[in-house]
Amino acid sequence: MRLVAKPEFGHGSNLFRRILAILLVAVLIEFTAGALLYERISDLSLKEEEAHRLAEHLVIARKFLEDRPAVDRKAMALELTTERYEILWAPHPVTFPGFTQGLARMHRQMIGWEPSLGEAHIRMQVIAYGAQSRIAGGLTLQDGSWMGFATQAGRSGWDVTGMRIGLAAIPVIALIIIAALMVRAMLQPLGQLVHAAETIETGGEDVPLPQGGTAEVRLLTQAFEDMRRRIRQMIAERTQALASVGHDLRTPLARIRLRLDALEDSPARERIEADVAEMELMINSLLAHLNGANDPEPPTLVDLAVMTDTLVAQYEDMGKDIDYSGPDHLSVSLRPGGMRRAITNLIENGLHYGGAVHVRLKREGERISLAVEDDGPGIADEDMAEALRPFGRLDSARGRNTGGMGLGLAIVQRAIALEGGSLRLSNRPEGGLSAELIFPARPAPGASARPA
Amino acid sequence: MTAPTIIVVEDDPPLRVLTTRALQENGYEVKAASSAPEMWSAFESGPVDLVLLDVMLPGTNGLDLCRQIRRQSDVPIIFISARGEEADKIIGLEVGADDYLAKPFGTRELVARVRAVLRRGGSDRSDGQERSSEAHFNGWTLSFPRRELRTPDGAIVDLTGAEFDLLACFITNPQRVIARYRLIEMSRTRLGDSSDRSIDVLVSRLRRKLTTGDESAPIRTVRGIGYIFSSEVDYR
Repeated sequence: MRLVAKPEFGHGSNLFRRILAILLVAVLIEFTAGALLYERISDLSLKEEEAHRLAEHLVIARKFLEDRPAVDRKAMALELTTERYEILWAPHPVTFPGFTQGLARMHRQMIGWEPSLGEAHIRMQVIAYGAQSRIAGGLTLQDGSWMGFATQAGRSGWDVTGMRIGLAAIPVIALIIIAALMVRAMLQPLGQLVHAAETIETGGEDVPLPQGGTAEVRLLTQAFEDMRRRIRQMIAERTQALASVGHDLRTPLARIRLRLDALEDSPARERIEADVAEMELMINSLLAHLNGANDPEPPTLVDLAVMTDTLVAQYEDMGKDIDYSGPDHLSVSLRPGGMRRAITNLIENGLHYGGAVHVRLKREGERISLAVEDDGPGIADEDMAEALRPFGRLDSARGRNTGGMGLGLAIVQRAIALEGGSLRLSNRPEGGLSAELIFPARPAPGASARPA
Repeated sequence: MTAPTIIVVEDDPPLRVLTTRALQENGYEVKAASSAPEMWSAFESGPVDLVLLDVMLPGTNGLDLCRQIRRQSDVPIIFISARGEEADKIIGLEVGADDYLAKPFGTRELVARVRAVLRRGGSDRSDGQERSSEAHFNGWTLSFPRRELRTPDGAIVDLTGAEFDLLACFITNPQRVIARYRLIEMSRTRLGDSSDRSIDVLVSRLRRKLTTGDESAPIRTVRGIGYIFSSEVDYR
């Protein structure tokens, strides 16, 4: 089984970041260009409006001042001063240097709005107060006296620009966040597809495929679904074919055995018998390998101690050097067929590569340990993984797995994985290999757990 | 005493011939059939003591065929199958077969199984007993079709073929002394299991399996004669 880091189609992914980056650049360009243009236009219209308003105010102020006798004019000017404009009056003109650059247009706009101002000889200039600026100027009344004016500080349209840009940026930021969430949601199904693709080879339950998504993602999902179905069908067909070959081979093998039994005893007959026995073993282990993948048996309560002891006793009766140590009884819920085969394979391996085999069973709390130890040459550390691989073969002294197809330990591994446990291979310090099955001691479903 | 008659139902011609010959050489009368219809006509032609039935016949499901035979007759049936897997074995035994022979088998194994089943079948019938599928003693359950023993709390206790036959012999003769020589004779018919341990080893192994906690096994030694199964047996 491979362990693959699951790719996350979230913030860290390349595709996600790229789409977001493209979006970000596009939005920023749009925003900058838009803001500049908008700023220019609003700036212009703002200034024109400002000019008109100033012109109106000046016309009215001029009229009021001209209607008053000279003595009242100073007080009148004070009354005409508003929050927006400051008005002054002086009996003699105050000279202004002229128009500050940029105010000529404003002057034109003022005259255009209030033509009566044309004869008033308006002079204006920009006076800067720190960051803010105000416009100050003067004009002559009909009697030759002078009226001064100035826009009040902080009343011009200039300083709100920063805030307006800030306000305009809020929807942009919101847009980017929404876009990020949408892109993420759009890429989500791809992550699910990757996960589904990874689980195909392990042969487990079908991982649900993503629902919905964009048309392209739906097409991809559909194509993936079809591919997954084809792969499963292909595997099933191959398994079926291989299994029926295995089953069918047993009939000619039975014929050979019956024919052999009719022959006189001879060394050749014995050798043929051994060959037939080996072929039988190969077929058995191949079918067990295929079967384990196809129809797992249901777990049931089993006396594991008796099971192990019975298997050991059968080898003992064949004259093998084997012993069992452990409890007389140990009830556990497991799949008896798979477990019997696993223990048998470990024992056969041990007997094949080592002379003597010790089988030890013990319960440690909630775990069960079943170790098959031999006194053979063991397995080099670098060959451990190869020993567990289906159809894997080792070149050294363990050049042949029992069962003849290199399936022995792979079958053990799958059987024990079904019980939620694992197979541990280790070389014993005193020599030989220890193959240990470690799995949880599950009481039968519905049955009360007994202390062992 | 006439030789027992066996019907061999096998679709593979050479294997059918070889099986027939092997049985004939061991003193059995054999009728060979290659299909279900041939088997039925073999039944018509005279009494049959045992059927050797290949599960995978073309056009027929061997399991259905077995059920059909069971509806009409108690004749012992041995399944022959190329599928030696545990589940197949259990299904075969549950539809009423008496034993299960996995391919590829040799002559010795074939003859041993036939002999054992004939012996069992004969004794069952002579007692006039109904075929009972389960026996209970001290809370333990022995299932004949599944050849399976379970503890009072339901755990499966593995038995070798010889151990099962020994226990079955005790259970069919409860609270009766069984002579040692009878048990030895019985265990000799089982050649399929390569065990030729003495009957005493077999009994002691069976005792160990039937002993739990403070409850000792209900098999007692009767010095100089044999053994007795001391517990009451109840068929259900």
